[in-house]
Amino acid sequence: MAVVEPVAENDPAAEGLGRLMATYASLGDDDAIFPRILAHAPGYAVAIGDAMTRAHLDGGVDVRLKELMRIQLATTAGDTYFSTLRAPAAIDAGLTEDDVAAALGDFAASERFTEAEKWALRYAWLMYREPDKVDAAFYEEGKRHFSEAQIMELGGLIAVHYGMAVFMSTLRGRVAVPSSD
Amino acid sequence: MRSASAKRNGLTEERIDEGIDQWRDSPNFTPAEKIALEYSELMQYAPDKIDEAFYERLAEHYSTAEIVELGAFIGFNVGYHTFFRTLDFYPMFTPDGRLVSQEESRRIYGDVPASHRSAAVLQAMAGTEHDAEKAS
Repeated sequence: MAVVEPVAENDPAAEGLGRLMATYASLGDDDAIFPRILAHAPGYAVAIGDAMTRAHLDGGVDVRLKELMRIQLATTAGDTYFSTLRAPAAIDAGLTEDDVAAALGDFAASERFTEAEKWALRYAWLMYREPDKVDAAFYEEGKRHFSEAQIMELGGLIAVHYGMAVFMSTLRGRVAVPSSD
Repeated sequence: MRSASAKRNGLTEERIDEGIDQWRDSPNFTPAEKIALEYSELMQYAPDKIDEAFYERLAEHYSTAEIVELGAFIGFNVGYHTFFRTLDFYPMFTPDGRLVSQEESRRIYGDVPASHRSAAVLQAMAGTEHDAEKAS
């Protein structure tokens, strides 16, 4: 038996689960394992779903870039679940698997990304690996490419998506979708 | 920063200091509180060590809903506190509620996360009391 089993879709105790799953589906989470885990604590599931989707899909930065950052962060967290998701909005914006591979590799040397995109990818890369390098000089460099609002948008995206990816990583291999029979 | 609701529920600076530095050996935390603190510490520094055996230990003290609540809360805070740290931003208020500049706040709270029982913080609070006495 799994330690934390996702709530079954037909669980009568999971009030509002369908709406919650629709929220997370916008992140590409079609099988909805994460919201069904969070559904054990419904208030958290709603608030975190809102934070994750707004950070990713709202705002003034290209969703394709934010999806690359999100996948990179999930990889940093060692999370094999979120790193495999692809947001439909990012695919609609032109995201390809070649982009993903480049973002997870030597993105600084890639001709695929603009200087602004390279700074944003470095922002996500450094945050939980070498946060001391995200200093005043680093932010000054970022301001050459992004407004302060956009930088805060990226920082918020990084924080909430890494946080949930690292939590999910600790459940890796220990979650199982219960039978709906 | 300190949560007002946590303070209303009895959280003290002494308990915060003990919960950060000495929770493993402290007699003042229950086994349930200790494993929650361990969960938090591991999520930040060694998430790979949070394995099935650890979740089984958690389940001895907490329901599934509580474990999910703790895990999501910790993940959220791990994510945000690292981000906030890079902004090099200090609290706008002293522990007793006085509005201060970023420079003064940096002097009070220091370059690393500080206990409100540290000398600089106590001195800042004593200064506030002194100002209040003068004003009256």
